Amino acid sequence: MAITGRTAALAALGALLVGLLMPRWLGVLVVAAVLLAGILLDLALAAAVRPLRLDRTGDTTIRLGEQATVNLTITNPGRLPLRALVRDAWPPSSWAPGTEVTASRHRLTVPAGERRRLTTVLRPTRRGERQAHTVTIRSLGPLGLAARQGSHRVPWTVRVLPPFTSRKHLPSRLARLRELDGRTSMLLRGQGTEFDSLREYIPGDDTRSIDWRATARRSAVAVRTWRPERDRHILIVLDTGRTSAGRVGDAPRLDAALDAALLLAALASRAGDRVDLLAYDRRVRASVQGRTAADLLPSLVNAMARLEPQLVESDARGLVAGVLQRAPRRSLVVLLTGLDAAPVEEGLLPVLPLLTHRHEVLVASVADPRLDEMARARGNLDAIYEAAAAEQSRTERRHTAQRLARHGVTVVDAPPATLPPALADAYLALKASGRL
Amino acid sequence: MSSTPGAAPQHPAPQQAPPGPARPAPGGPGTAAPDTSLAPTVRQLWARSRGILVALLILLVFGFSYAVFRSGEHHGQLDPRSPDRYGSRAVAQLLEDHGVTVDVVTTTADAAAATGPDSTLLVTDPDMLDRRQLGVIHQAAADSGGRTVLIAPGPTAVSTLLPGVDATATAGVDDLAPACDLPEARRAGDAHLGGLLYRHPGVPGATSCYPVQGLPSLLRVPDTTGQGDTVVLGTPDPFHNHRLDDEGNASLALQLLGSRPHLVWYLPSLSDDSVGEPERQDFSDLLPSGWRWGAWQLAVAAVVTALWRARRLGPVVTEPLPVAVRAAEATEGRARLYRRANARARAAEALRQATRARLAPLVGVEPSRAQEPDILLAALTAHVEAPAPQVRSLLYGPAPEDDSALVRLADDLDALEASLHDWQVRSP
Repeated sequence: MAITGRTAALAALGALLVGLLMPRWLGVLVVAAVLLAGILLDLALAAAVRPLRLDRTGDTTIRLGEQATVNLTITNPGRLPLRALVRDAWPPSSWAPGTEVTASRHRLTVPAGERRRLTTVLRPTRRGERQAHTVTIRSLGPLGLAARQGSHRVPWTVRVLPPFTSRKHLPSRLARLRELDGRTSMLLRGQGTEFDSLREYIPGDDTRSIDWRATARRSAVAVRTWRPERDRHILIVLDTGRTSAGRVGDAPRLDAALDAALLLAALASRAGDRVDLLAYDRRVRASVQGRTAADLLPSLVNAMARLEPQLVESDARGLVAGVLQRAPRRSLVVLLTGLDAAPVEEGLLPVLPLLTHRHEVLVASVADPRLDEMARARGNLDAIYEAAAAEQSRTERRHTAQRLARHGVTVVDAPPATLPPALADAYLALKASGRL
Repeated sequence: MSSTPGAAPQHPAPQQAPPGPARPAPGGPGTAAPDTSLAPTVRQLWARSRGILVALLILLVFGFSYAVFRSGEHHGQLDPRSPDRYGSRAVAQLLEDHGVTVDVVTTTADAAAATGPDSTLLVTDPDMLDRRQLGVIHQAAADSGGRTVLIAPGPTAVSTLLPGVDATATAGVDDLAPACDLPEARRAGDAHLGGLLYRHPGVPGATSCYPVQGLPSLLRVPDTTGQGDTVVLGTPDPFHNHRLDDEGNASLALQLLGSRPHLVWYLPSLSDDSVGEPERQDFSDLLPSGWRWGAWQLAVAAVVTALWRARRLGPVVTEPLPVAVRAAEATEGRARLYRRANARARAAEALRQATRARLAPLVGVEPSRAQEPDILLAALTAHVEAPAPQVRSLLYGPAPEDDSALVRLADDLDALEASLHDWQVRSP
C-alpha cells in the first residue's frame, strides 16, 4: 500500500482545524480518525493489483540510436475500475540520462473487465540486450488518499544492435568495386586469374592484355578483361580482450572495430566473397559461419550486439587455432586487435607464421586521436612531457606495425572515424592486386 | 522504428531476425494467463517472517524469566512497608508499638511541610535530591526544633544540609563501639556502622560517635535553637530488617527515630517535581493552546508526508556498466612519470627521434635509415638555411640542461620541421 500527497496535505490542513476549533487531544484524534477512515475506504475500493494480467508486444531489435516502442497491455479482470500509476522499469541505459522518470511512468484507467494498452518508448544509449525489469502498479482509490501497490514481472528483451554508422561509406566503396569488376567503361585491370570477356581496345588499355588470337580473327584489336576473383573466403577476427576495452573518444575500441567489421562484411558480401566472423579473447565469444549474402549482415549484427570487451589478456595461440579450424583453405584473415607492443610481441608474433603461412593476413587497429593531440601539445613543461610520451607511444606502435609487416601482414592503423573506410580500401587494394 | 528493409537493402534489416524473447502466450479470453505478480502470497509471507517471529518470542520469554528470577534483592530498600532483607518494616512497626506515628512521604514539599519541633525527619537517600530540593529541606529542617536523620549523605548532600561537615572517606561496615558520650549511642552500645566517614572542622557542639580510624561514622550536630539536631549516619545498615536484631542496632534505631512523637519517613523519588520554580515559564506556556495542538497536528502531517515520500514506485533497477578506461591512460601516466623524474634526456630523445622520422621522407631518406646521423644530415643541409652544426646539435645534440631548454628544444624542432614544409610548398 501507499499513501498520496493528498493525504499529507489533508493532515496539514487538519492543523488549522485542530488549532482553531478543537485545541485538545480529541482534535488530533478526530483528524487522524477521519484520515484513517478515508485511507481504509480507498484501500477497499481500489482495484487489486495481483489479479491484473499483463502482456507485452513491440520491437525486439533496434539499432543503437533508434527508439524502440514496447507495448504493455493491462487487463483488469476484477469488478473495480483500475486507476493506476504504472512504472515500466527497464535498466537505466534504456533511456537518455535524466529522461527515465518521465519515460517509464504512465497514468491510466482501466474500467472493470476491460483492457488498455500503454506504450513505453526506449532510447537505449548502449549496445547490448535490455531486459525488462518489473512493472510496478500503484492502484489508487476513488478518493485519491491511498493506493494499493504491487509488481509484476513481464519478461521482454530488446536487442540493441551496433549502429553501423560507417554505412555511409558503402556506396563509394561499392562504386570502386564495380570499377574493379570491369563492369564500367573505366577498366582497372585486376591481377586475378578469372577471364571475364573480350572487348575492343581503347587507347590507355594495358597493351599486355591484348588478345592477339582474337585480334587476328576480327578486324579490330581486342583486349581481354579480367575480373577479380570471386567467392573468396574472408574471416573477420575480433579480439575482445583487454586491449579492446580502452576508450577512444567516448566509446570502447571494440565499438569502432565492430563498425569497421560491418563495413568490410557488407562490401565483401557484395563483392561475392564469403564472410565469417569470430570474436575471441580466451574463448569464443561469437561466431558466424556459412551465411548467405542476404542473411549475413543480420547474423553479424545480432552476434555483435552482445559482445562486450573482457578484461582478460587475449590468448593468441587459442585465437590462431580457432582461425585455422574455421579457415581450412586459403583465406583473408582480418584481425581487429590492438597494436600495443607487449601483447603483440608476446602473444601474436610468435604464432603469426602459422597464419601467414596459409592465409593472407590483415591486421587492423583503432588508433587513438588523443595521442596525436598530446603529441602536438606545446607551451609548458607538462605539455612537452606529454608530447614526448605520446611520441614514444606512437614510435612503439609504428615499430610493432613494421614488425608485423615484415611477416607479410598488411597493417591498417586509423582512428575510429576513418578506420572503416581505411579497412575497406585495404581490402579493395588486396583484391585489385589479386592477393586474395 | 528502425529502417525499412526495402529502402536500404545493403543494411541489415533488424526485424528479419528477431531473437525471440521469452514472451508469454497471448492471454486472450478463455486462456489462463500466467501469474506475473511478484507480490508474496500468505504462505511466502509466513515463511519469510517466521524466523523473526521465533526470535522475538525467544527474546520475550528470556526477558520475562530474567525479570522473574533475577530481580534485585535491594528492591524496596529502607521502605517502612517492605518486609524484605533490606526493607525497614521492622523498625517502623517497633516505633508504632512505642506510640510514634510514622508518615511516609515521597515529595520534598510534603517532607518540608511535615517538619516541626515534635517530629523527626528521616531522609533515606539524600544523594537522590538535587541542589534545589536539598535547599528546601535544609531551610525547613534548620530551625524547626525537630530532629533530622540523614542516612549516608554524600559530599554534596552533607555540605548543603550541614554546612561545615564533609564526607571524606569510606570504610567497611563493621561492629563498632560508640566511643562517645552521646546518650543514645552509650545506651545502644556496639552497633553496625561504618560506610561513609565524616569530618566536622569547626562545627560547634558536634558529637562524633562510632569512629573508624579517628573519623566518625555517626555525627550529631545541634541546630542554632538548641532544641533540634541533625544526625548523620554513614550507612543504613542499622535500619535494615535483617540487621535489626544484631548488637545494639535496634536500640540505636529506636532512640534515633523515636525521640519525637511523630516520624516523617521521606523516601526521595526521581519523579518528584513538587519543588518547581514558579516564576519560570517556557515558550510553550506563553502560546495559546490552539497553536500547541495545531503544532502537534503538523507533526502528524510531517510523519504522513514522510510515509508518502518514502514509498518507492518499484525497486531501483541496476545494470552492469562497461569499464571506462581511456586508451591513452598509459601514455598520460608515462608523461606524468617523466615529469616527476625530470626525465629531460629521455623526453628530448623521444621528440628528436619523432622529428627525425618525420623529416626523413621530406628530404628523400628512407624511413629505415632516418635515425642514422650522417645520411639524414647530409640530405638536410641541402634544404635548410640554418648552418649544419646548428642542425646537428638540434637533432643529435646533448640532453637539455634545464626545463626551459627542453621547452626551447621542442619549439626549435617544430620550427625546423615547419621550415622544411615551407620549402616543400615553395619549391615544386
